[in-house]
Amino acid sequence: MSFLAFFFIVVSLVSFVAAQLVLKRAMEATRTSGLRNAQFISKVTGGIILMTISFFLTLGLLQRFDLSYLYPFQGLSVIFITLLAAVALKEKLNMRLAIGALLISVGIVLVSLS
Amino acid sequence: MQNRPTGFGNPWLQLALSVACVLVSEFLLKRGATEVADTGSAWSWTGLNGLASPLVWWAILLIIASFVSWLYVLRYIPITIAFPLSRVVDILVPLGCWIFLGELISPLRWCGIALVVIGLALVAKPIAQIEERL
Repeated sequence: MSFLAFFFIVVSLVSFVAAQLVLKRAMEATRTSGLRNAQFISKVTGGIILMTISFFLTLGLLQRFDLSYLYPFQGLSVIFITLLAAVALKEKLNMRLAIGALLISVGIVLVSLS
Repeated sequence: MQNRPTGFGNPWLQLALSVACVLVSEFLLKRGATEVADTGSAWSWTGLNGLASPLVWWAILLIIASFVSWLYVLRYIPITIAFPLSRVVDILVPLGCWIFLGELISPLRWCGIALVVIGLALVAKPIAQIEERL
């Protein structure tokens, strides 16, 4: 794998994870002030742009690599989103959730490797 | 999670709907892409020729539906719980391929599926307590 391929895999993963966190923030904003507020609209737009970037980078990568090679990186998103939600969104994270997320990640990697 | 709606607005039901939409869309995409496959053409790399298949358009509609219900889920459920649970689709796809398409599942893949199921159980178990606390 070239440096460029690694770079795009990382950017695609980071933009996917960031999109989920931004969308979560956007939807939290709707609970206090409904759907017609600047906070929600700007964050949902940001989240959709990030997801679009991730989608097209993945399409480009799929043209060069097998799905089974790329999918384990997607599996890692579970563990990244869980950890970052605890740090950035201050969500409660206990040992049980962390181990559960880790097992799901490892399981997805195994499913796609075999 | 206060004022959590019930009935069709129940976020857990919406999470299940979101996962079901993604699951069905994956199979529609696979069927649709195979239907119009034209591997001889360079343009087919962009996937745009897939739009010639009605199945692909149905899949796109389902993906949009799953996105809307996912946003709704995010409004009520912590993402540390909702996102790991949503990955149940990663084992439902191979299981669906096994049941409906007759594809084989290797022993290593069964191990992966088992790990995901244990992980899902660990994440899902405290939901009852969380529901009470919030």
